[in-house]
Amino acid sequence: MPRIQLGTWVNDAVDWLTTHMAWLFDFCKTVFLGLYDGINAVLQAPEPLLLAGIFAVIAFWLRGTLAGVLAFAGFAFIDSLELWENAMITLALVLVATVIALVIALPVGIWAARSDRVSGLVRPVLDFMQTLPAMIYLIPAILFFGTGAPAGIVATLIFALAPGVRMTELGIRQVDKELVEAADAFGTTPRNTLLRVQLPLALPTVMAGVNQVIMLGLSMAAIAGMVGTGGLGGDVNEAIGQLNVGLGSEAGVAIVILAIYLDRMTSALGTQVSPLGRRAAAKLRAAQGLRIWSYRPRPAVAVIGVVVLALAAGGMGVLGGSGTGATAAAGGKDVGQGKKISIGYIPWDEGVASTFLWKEVLEQRGYQVEAKQFDAGPLYTSLAQGDVDFQTDAWLPTTHAQYWKKYGKQLDDLGAWYDKTSLELSVPSYMKGIDSLADLKGKASEFGGGITGIESSAGEMALLKSKVLKEYGLDKEYQVVDSSTPAMLAELKRAYAQKKPIVVTLWSPHWAYNDYDLRKLKDTKGAWGEGDGVHTLSRKGFADDDPTVAEWLKKFRMSEKELTSLEAEINKAGKGNQQEAVRAWLKQHPGFADRMAPVKNAGGGTPAEAKRPLDVAWFPWDEDIAVTYLWKNVLERRGYKLNLKQMDVGPVYTGLASGDLDLNFDAWLPYAQKNYWDKNKDRLKDLGTWYEPTSLEIAVPSYVKGVDSLEDLKGKAGTFKGKIIGIEPGTGEMDLAKNKVLPAYGLDKEYEVVDGSTPAMLAELKRAYAKKEPIAVTLWSPHWAYSDYELTKLKDPKKAFGEGNTIRTISNEKFPEQYPQLTKWIKNFRMSEDELGSLESEIKDRGQGHEEEAVAAWLEEHPDVVNRMTPQ
Amino acid sequence: MSATLEAESLYKVFGRRPDQAVERLRNGADREELRAEGTTAAVIDASFTVEPGQIFVVMGLSGSGKSTLLRMLNGLLEPTAGHVRFDGQGLTALGDRELRQVRSRKISMVFQHFALFPHRSVRENAAYGLEVQGVPRAERARRADEALALCGLAGWEKSWPDELSGGMQQRVGLARALATDADLLLMDESFSALDPLIRRDMQDQLLELQQKLKKTIVFITHDLNEAMRLGDRIAVMRDGRIVQNGTAQDILLRPENDYVASFTQDVDRSRVLTAGELMDTSVTADDPGCHCETATPDTPFTELCAISARLSHPVSVVDEDNRQIGVVPRQRLVRFLGDVQDTDTQPCDSPRDKGGEKVIARA
Repeated sequence: MPRIQLGTWVNDAVDWLTTHMAWLFDFCKTVFLGLYDGINAVLQAPEPLLLAGIFAVIAFWLRGTLAGVLAFAGFAFIDSLELWENAMITLALVLVATVIALVIALPVGIWAARSDRVSGLVRPVLDFMQTLPAMIYLIPAILFFGTGAPAGIVATLIFALAPGVRMTELGIRQVDKELVEAADAFGTTPRNTLLRVQLPLALPTVMAGVNQVIMLGLSMAAIAGMVGTGGLGGDVNEAIGQLNVGLGSEAGVAIVILAIYLDRMTSALGTQVSPLGRRAAAKLRAAQGLRIWSYRPRPAVAVIGVVVLALAAGGMGVLGGSGTGATAAAGGKDVGQGKKISIGYIPWDEGVASTFLWKEVLEQRGYQVEAKQFDAGPLYTSLAQGDVDFQTDAWLPTTHAQYWKKYGKQLDDLGAWYDKTSLELSVPSYMKGIDSLADLKGKASEFGGGITGIESSAGEMALLKSKVLKEYGLDKEYQVVDSSTPAMLAELKRAYAQKKPIVVTLWSPHWAYNDYDLRKLKDTKGAWGEGDGVHTLSRKGFADDDPTVAEWLKKFRMSEKELTSLEAEINKAGKGNQQEAVRAWLKQHPGFADRMAPVKNAGGGTPAEAKRPLDVAWFPWDEDIAVTYLWKNVLERRGYKLNLKQMDVGPVYTGLASGDLDLNFDAWLPYAQKNYWDKNKDRLKDLGTWYEPTSLEIAVPSYVKGVDSLEDLKGKAGTFKGKIIGIEPGTGEMDLAKNKVLPAYGLDKEYEVVDGSTPAMLAELKRAYAKKEPIAVTLWSPHWAYSDYELTKLKDPKKAFGEGNTIRTISNEKFPEQYPQLTKWIKNFRMSEDELGSLESEIKDRGQGHEEEAVAAWLEEHPDVVNRMTPQ
Repeated sequence: MSATLEAESLYKVFGRRPDQAVERLRNGADREELRAEGTTAAVIDASFTVEPGQIFVVMGLSGSGKSTLLRMLNGLLEPTAGHVRFDGQGLTALGDRELRQVRSRKISMVFQHFALFPHRSVRENAAYGLEVQGVPRAERARRADEALALCGLAGWEKSWPDELSGGMQQRVGLARALATDADLLLMDESFSALDPLIRRDMQDQLLELQQKLKKTIVFITHDLNEAMRLGDRIAVMRDGRIVQNGTAQDILLRPENDYVASFTQDVDRSRVLTAGELMDTSVTADDPGCHCETATPDTPFTELCAISARLSHPVSVVDEDNRQIGVVPRQRLVRFLGDVQDTDTQPCDSPRDKGGEKVIARA
């Protein structure tokens, strides 16, 4: 059989989709995130018990007294488990996924019910979506949507969509054909047949579908915790990772309560919205008579109840919210505080570029900036009159010499920010053998005897014709073709695309040097004369009025590369979008704005880079919990904001590589997470080791006597039933154990390393330990298992497991550029075994959900750590 | 008030290349021939005219194409060939929108299994056609209540269909059809699903309503007795073709072929036979010749037997002017009864519906 490269095709397709369909995914992401944030904000805002009350009133209305009481009790229970916030996150996630699923499922179901062909097409797609293991699309979901809620919503959506479509189709198809015919026979339009006959009669089935969508969504939301959606799924994940059955069951019970509530409410809603259901319920009630437990208020009463509670909740939310409203709005960057500055510019490329660059940066610093376009003459006049504060495009000493002579006394020169301007002739670099003006001699036929010029009125053209060509004896051979700057550039572009010979009149700085590979012809005889510097001029006294900005302007410098790339960006964006182009360019040049307009951090204030919140992913492993919460505490003191996301190893590496996450403090390299690292290393940065040494090993309980080293395992396969309990297949340690360690000690015939998962391995260890059965597990240090159980690390005299890993911090590719300060801090960060151990035990003592208190307490005992980690 | 319905050589073929199949049928191809190729000719060359105010019954066994024929009359099925004209308007050429218009205003339908909307009350069901027409709510309710009252359901307006018995449900179905004031009423085996006694009630009610309303009605049934009772004209269908189209007496006494004859064998002739059909017309006179009881040509068979039993001689049949136009000797009566009894061993034509036999037995 030939190998069918399905995997490769899928990879290619995913690559293609990520590059070409990004706009679509971004759109979806925005929609999902908007919906999610909205619903989540509503659910998180009120006091938990008040919201529980609202839920209870809804249950009271839909199902009666008993349901209302139970609903309140259930939600109060969730609150008492300290899982309220996460439960609401999960609820929001499920609600958003359900709403989107229904928006898709209902029309598709209706369509499928009406057309057998559509039905035949849709069915296998649904089967596919429902049975494909979730992990397979969870990871691509990160690639497309990034980590967090959108990826979780998409995964949930894919899983939960099927019953919605199926039940809608089934419901409509189940409607008695004779009824549809009757509707038709009375002249009903197809649309009304659907709305008045088919949908009302299909409604109970459709509502059963909605119910299923919600249930499946809820079960998937738990799995989606692996991609950092948080909520109860995150808790479950964390509990499994730590083998914390107690916490796991708490989160599990919370999920169950949510599930039961949603299930009962949607099925009751099903009876309420369907006319047949309403009648059946009314009959049943009539038969039972009025009982207090099944008493249901009239809708109006229920609505009033909900509204009163909601108003109370809203009111409290508003009052509570106002206290925390103004948290570090501009992060200490609001230097200008609305002060007005006006910049004048000449519409030359470098003038436009530098002016809009300053406009953007100054606006970022809280100034109100006005940019006015002038001709050179009027600009100098306005500047001299004080109408304009400064301009950045004064070519001095030569080009603007006249103006300077005239207005110089009324102006201040804030210095040159670009000093390598020059006039020149240029050729594309594919023109070999032409490096200097002298080389042009005798090559006229190659260029068709023409030099493509610009406006005949330009000073450069005059200089070229009257001086430069003569100096090199080219005036007989070449003719300078008068045209215009845009025409020259168009000609250059055309020739460049076809790789045709061309020589053009150009000057530096110019964006053409950025867009094309051009060679400036050397002017060995100095015929073009000395180049000007581009100066910033301000009105007299500006430096006194605004010393900060004047200082910034004086220190302003741009390299040719920076300037030409900015010009190119502006050129690309087109007229009217200059500022957007500047913004885009600044994004590619992080830190540039801060270099232009540095903000002094009085009293150790917030570094500029702290503006954007950091997305930090963590694994539910003890050392990572400790170090992550430690950094969170310390960095928040320095004005940073950290979003912690709990995830699995694979998603973390994917998320970091895609730039969606910023940091992870728990990379075990170079061995344990080698596979993940190798795959993504081009897009990751290693910020160095903060903890060592670690080791990988096979461990046995110490009650297993006579087994101290790997060699001792030989011939004892019977004792261990030929098995070594492994962890997740594909991890570095497992690969090492299978491919290197066992063969090295000749154990590969005797033993099998069993694939599983870390929690499963730990569970197996716990079980065997309790029964004092022999067991061998793959383990690593540091690990809490060594403190909980008495285990023997088997010695590895042949060093088959290799040198130990170190625990490192890894980040996405751009991180060091974006966060130079933080990068430096992280690179210098170290923790000793004592420190890590004491922090871990502090966290363990305080229990899950109190990590921040634990870190705060630990830091009080270790007062030097904050300054050691983040020196100022 | 009502208008003429005309059907002109209607064909309905299901399957591939229907037009080609019609062509072959026109050229005398057999239905079985087409069936072997997977094409089903449901209705073949059906032509008939229903005069205003007439009840036109289409009778046939299941699979004879009568329901298909009915659905072509209101455009639920599009004829493969042929034309339907109602009230001078050709229905076949109409677009979907116009066709719906016609269906909502001029033609209504009563279904075999009632087809009441379970999510609507009795009144809402009866008002359905009016709702489709866009009649305002108040008027809708008024007209629906009128139609319900007409069908004997006054007081049940607020009930729900599943609270009613089968007969009452079909009255709702009838009321729904009548409420729209449509001129043409299509009834698709409308009473077949009812118990025999209730069925008779419904038949009586329909006849009574027809006296008042004078609708044009096309009634589909597989029950010959029902056809005889209701039909002004009866068309017998077999294998997609109309094999005979005539009055009840025509069908019964002058069957076009053996099929129709066998069909009518187990019919209770006494209910349709009259003296006019039985009399020996060779014996005529200016007057009956005695003062004994006489019969008219319309005197039903049962009454004729009663008269004959009281007389020692043949019963004289007289016209309006008391002229004797024929006589019915006792032997003739007995011979007709004998015929009926001889054929009692024929298998039932509708095995599912045992009620039909019982009625005959009682008669």
